[in-house]
Amino acid sequence: MAISRLFIANRGEIAVRIIRAAHSLGIETVLGSSAADAESLPARMAQRTVIVGPAEATRSYLDERLIVQAALGAGCDALHPGYGFLSERAALARLCEENGIAFVGPRPETIEALGDKLSARRIAEASGVPLVPGTPALDSAEDACAAASEIGYPVVMKATAGGGGRGMFFARGPEDVKASFNKASEEARAAFGDGSLYIERFVESARHVEVQVFGDGEGNVLHFGERDCSVQRRYQKLIEEAPCTIMPDTVRAELHAAAVKLTSDLNYRNAGTVEFLFDVERGEFYFIEVNARIQVEHPVSELISRRDLVAMQLRLAGGEALDLQQSDIVLHGHAIECRVNAEDPDHGFLPSPGRLTTWEPPDMDFVRLDTFCSQGTLIPPYYDSMIGKLIVYGNDRTEALLRMDEAIRQFSLAGVKTNMPLQHFIIRHPDFHNNLITTRWLEQTGLQAFANREE
Amino acid sequence: MKNVTANEIKNLIQIFDDSEWQELALQVEDFRIFLSRDPNSAGAPWQSTQTPPAPVASAPAPVPQQPSSVSAVAPAQPTATPKAESAPIPDNYVVVKAPNLGIFYRSPKPGAAPYVELGAEVDNETEICLIEVMKLFTPVHAGMRGTVRHICVEDGEMVEFDQPLFYVEPAE
Repeated sequence: MAISRLFIANRGEIAVRIIRAAHSLGIETVLGSSAADAESLPARMAQRTVIVGPAEATRSYLDERLIVQAALGAGCDALHPGYGFLSERAALARLCEENGIAFVGPRPETIEALGDKLSARRIAEASGVPLVPGTPALDSAEDACAAASEIGYPVVMKATAGGGGRGMFFARGPEDVKASFNKASEEARAAFGDGSLYIERFVESARHVEVQVFGDGEGNVLHFGERDCSVQRRYQKLIEEAPCTIMPDTVRAELHAAAVKLTSDLNYRNAGTVEFLFDVERGEFYFIEVNARIQVEHPVSELISRRDLVAMQLRLAGGEALDLQQSDIVLHGHAIECRVNAEDPDHGFLPSPGRLTTWEPPDMDFVRLDTFCSQGTLIPPYYDSMIGKLIVYGNDRTEALLRMDEAIRQFSLAGVKTNMPLQHFIIRHPDFHNNLITTRWLEQTGLQAFANREE
Repeated sequence: MKNVTANEIKNLIQIFDDSEWQELALQVEDFRIFLSRDPNSAGAPWQSTQTPPAPVASAPAPVPQQPSSVSAVAPAQPTATPKAESAPIPDNYVVVKAPNLGIFYRSPKPGAAPYVELGAEVDNETEICLIEVMKLFTPVHAGMRGTVRHICVEDGEMVEFDQPLFYVEPAE
C-alpha cells in the first residue's frame, strides 16, 4: 500500500526536498521540527509541523524515541530520515519497524552492517570489491607502527566506528603514528564510544568517486552512474559533479559493476551510495564505504539520469515494485553542484549564522537551487552550515562549468558570510577546468591560491 | 483520587525535587504522574507503544519544550554561576569576551568537569570554555595570567559576539 502520511525527521534543504517529492506523489507530510526551526520553510510547506524538542539537536532531531512517538502521534505510516542526524542509526529504522512505520531507507541490519567500517570492508571483500590495503583494528601505537611499515608509508589511520574525519590522521612515518595515535583514539572514543583505529595505505593522487545505487531489497540493484566529489576540505565535500570525466570507460564499467555487486549481495533496499577512492596513477579504484541513505549530492545524479531519486525512495517504501531496468537509466550530459555554506573562507571557515538580508538566486535556465532560504531567513547557529546547493546542468562539462560560473556571478547574497567567493574561485581555476585536481588539491593548492587572489 | 488538586501535584513535585530520587512514577486509579531528572529517560513504566507519551505539540506553537512533556522536573543546576551584574566589577578586572556567536560550554564534553571554576588560577594559554557554532567548537583561552572572579554565562547558553564571558583579576 502506498504511503498516505509521511513524517520527515530532518530540517533544512533536505526536508524541503523530501516534502516536495512527497507532495508530487500526493502524500501528506508532517515535519518533525525543533523549536528553532518552527518558522522555517519546510515547516511552512508541510501540512503539519510537530515540535519534537528544543533547538539542541540531541534533544530533538537526534532522539529517535521522540521522533517515532511524534510520527505515531501524528498518524504517519512512513518516515524519511533525510541525511545526517538519525539517517544511519539502525535504532531508528528498527523502532519504525516495531511500530508499523515504513522506514524510507535500508533495513536496520543493513545499516548496522555498513555502519561499522570494518564490517563494511569485510562485506566488500566478500563481494570481490577491491580494498585499499589495510589492517584490522589496532590497539596501540606500537602495533600501528608495525602494521604501517608492512603496508608502506604514507598511511591514514581511521576510526573503526565512524566517519566525518574524526579520529582520522595522516602519517608519513612511524614518528607521526606515535605522535597522533593516542589523541586520535581518544577523539574516536569521544565521538563514537569506541576508540579503535585501523590503517589504510594512503593514495597520493586520489579522486573521490562514488556510485549512486538503488535497490529493491530483493537483490535487484540499479545504478545511476558515478559522481566525482574530489573538492574537499577536512573530508567535507564542497563541489560534486557527475559523471567523473577523467575515468576511462572500462574502469567506469567495472566501478558500477562493483557497486551493484556489493549492494545486491546485501539485498540492499532503497537509495545508497558506494564510495571509492580512484587512484589516478594506477588507474585502480578501492572501496571506501557505503552511505546507507540519500546523500547531499544526489541532485547531480538526478540531473544526468532525469530521475527523481527521492520520489523513487518514497514509492519503494510504500510497497511499489521497482519497475525499472538498468537499460531504462540513460545518463546524459554533465551536472555540477556547489554547496552553499554559511562560513567565511577568508577567516578559517568560521561559521556565520544570522539573517540573510539579501538572497537573490540566479535567474537562468538549467540551474537548480535546493535550499530552505529566502530573503530574510534567519540561519540558526545550532546546526550544519550548509544553507543550499547550487546545481547546474550542461551537455558536457565545459558547458556546465560556464553555467556555474555565470550562476555564481548572478547569485547575490548578504547578511551572512558564505563560501561562494571560494566556490567561484575554484570553478574558475585552471586546475579545476582542466580536471587535474585530487582530494587534497583544495587544502594543498586551492586555499593558498584563494588567499593570494587579486580582486 | 477523584479530585487531584494543583497543590497536591505541586507538593509531589516538591517532594521529588527535595529527594535524591532519579524518577518517580505514581499511579492511583486513573491518575498517573511520572517525574524524571533525566531528559533521556526511557519514560514511565506504563508507557508503551499503545499509549504514546505524546511528546509533541502542534505548530503554530513554537514554544521550546521539554524533550518529553512527562518529565516535568528539570534537575537543579549543580553549581550556580553568579551573574556579572549582581556585583560591581572592580576596575582592574579584565573581561574575556566571546570571539563569536555560539553556544557557551564550560566543560569539554557533557558530564565532564568544567574547564575552570571560580577562583581558578589561569594563564595565557588556559582554556576556559568552548563556543560552539554550527558544529564548530572553538576553545577560548584566558589570554592573561590571573584569577577567575566572575562567570557571566550559564553552561549551554547562547552568547553573542563580544559578549562578556568571564572576568579575571590580573596577577601582580
